[in-house]
Amino acid sequence: MTNSEQYKYKKVMVIDDNEIDRYVAELVMEKNLFAQKVVCIESGRDALDYLFALEGNPEEVPQLIFLDINMPEMNGFEFLIEYEKLSESIKNNCIIMMLTTSLHEEDRIKAKENKYVFKFLNKPLSKDKLDNFGVYFQSTKTNLNGSEI
Amino acid sequence: MAVNYQHVKNRIMKEEKNVTSNEGQVMQIDAFLLQIKNKSDKLMNYFLVLYFIIGLILAFFYDTWTIAIGVGSLSLIAYYSTKILMPNSNLYQYVLSIVFGIFMAQYIYQMHGLFEMHFVAFIGSTVLITYQNWKLQIPLALVVIVHHASFGYLQYIGYNKIYFTQLDYMTLQTFIIHGILATTVFFICGLWAYHFKKYSERHIEQTFEMGRLQEEKLQKEAIERSNEELTKSNKELDRFVYSVSHDLRAPLSSMLGVIGLSETGTEDAFMLKNMTMLKTSIKKLDSFIQDILDYSRNARMEIEKEEIHFSDLLKDISNDLKFMCDGKQKQVDIRTMISNGIAFYSDKNRLKIILNNLISNAIRYQNPETSDPFVEIEVNISNTAVNICIKDNGVGIGKEHHEKIFGMFYRVSKKSTGSGLGLYIVKETIEKLEGSIALKSEIGKGSEFNIYIPNLIS
Repeated sequence: MTNSEQYKYKKVMVIDDNEIDRYVAELVMEKNLFAQKVVCIESGRDALDYLFALEGNPEEVPQLIFLDINMPEMNGFEFLIEYEKLSESIKNNCIIMMLTTSLHEEDRIKAKENKYVFKFLNKPLSKDKLDNFGVYFQSTKTNLNGSEI
Repeated sequence: MAVNYQHVKNRIMKEEKNVTSNEGQVMQIDAFLLQIKNKSDKLMNYFLVLYFIIGLILAFFYDTWTIAIGVGSLSLIAYYSTKILMPNSNLYQYVLSIVFGIFMAQYIYQMHGLFEMHFVAFIGSTVLITYQNWKLQIPLALVVIVHHASFGYLQYIGYNKIYFTQLDYMTLQTFIIHGILATTVFFICGLWAYHFKKYSERHIEQTFEMGRLQEEKLQKEAIERSNEELTKSNKELDRFVYSVSHDLRAPLSSMLGVIGLSETGTEDAFMLKNMTMLKTSIKKLDSFIQDILDYSRNARMEIEKEEIHFSDLLKDISNDLKFMCDGKQKQVDIRTMISNGIAFYSDKNRLKIILNNLISNAIRYQNPETSDPFVEIEVNISNTAVNICIKDNGVGIGKEHHEKIFGMFYRVSKKSTGSGLGLYIVKETIEKLEGSIALKSEIGKGSEFNIYIPNLIS
């Protein structure tokens, strides 16, 4: 097993209804030593349940969430509305990235305006994007929610 | 040009419409006057019969049957013959006016100068108002003047069998007062006729104007309604195009993801080569879908103006294009020079489409023999417009293609990897923004696109 020190993040969540995209995201992150553990969840509702269960257990909260926009039942933006209701202890430990194929400029703007969304990425997730994002993220992470991760 | 032409056409149509509406108004006034005329004519039939019968009744007093029947029927014949012979002329009305005068004279004579019979003239005068024509008072007045002057004179010089008045003498003063009063009545009746006519005309004009305004209002409402429906269906279509394009692209990006993963799992050159080819095809299909999306958006969507920050916009585009080069090609240096200070307003999405297409072309068609491929974007903003120059040191475009390169599905050579829609969309989008684009290019040296787009700041 690889030493946990080598990973950039301990725990990352992927919310996507598409199985292949979840598989790709998980494998890309593991192969590039991006995340030690990738939690793949197929709906916004399940993700909220998962996060709710972690109230009082901030250690286990994923540091990063990759969120798809176009999903049945609860889309990415609807998830964000519900997400706001979670306790500060969870939200402070968590950073959300939009990961989507949407070309809709409105989606991009809407995502950028949301205070919990850190970045808007286009699928598929690749090594380049992870590398690029890592650097960008490291340099600005203290500005996010005013807390260290 | 198309817009201007449409404008002129609209104006001409509007003028034509005004002309027809004026004609319509005149027609309506004529119809109204005709209605008045017919109604009045009908009334006159009763009056004339009544006049004739009164003449017969008066004949009993002094046994003036010859006068009553002779003069009375001559008057009626004069009136009806004129009316029948010249149905399109108003002459019969003037004859009527004279006939009224003559009946007065007839009655005065029949009653051997009974002074009250002079008032018969006033009845005629008031009856004539119904035609709403002041001039009809004139013949009546003339007959009265001639009758009074001649008969009055003849009676007073002692002519027998002339009946003007039963008074033994009539001073000049009485005669003058008589004349002034009669003139005043004729004048006022003429004035009323004139006023009634003016009032009728104004009333018709107003009615007509109201009708026109109402019609305009209805038309405007109809246009607004259809505009609303159009906007709604445009929005629905836009949503539809977006979801379809998303649904088409999502599997493509999944495929790219899986291929990316597979690439990291093998060292086999054959497999890697095949995977690269797969990726190229997928990317081509993906950009084709994006092109179609851009095209349909540009064709349908309204221009949404907002302030454009070119440095942010170009940064976004550079970031998006960062992953375009795949190994084979060199990373292209994107240099930007932006003149700051003046605010520029335009449609951000459309500008993005334009710049994205041109910059990605510069990257795609870079010159493999150059060691430092670059694309230089120079933005000069003025109060009225922006001039953008996009210059690269890529492969360049031969002169023979310059004319056709903005055409739909036109591709310069078999090496062209795009859909053939890119520059067509660029041109269409620039035209939508009422701008222009020019190309300078030489094979092996590079290309330079100069774009002009109006500033929508006002």
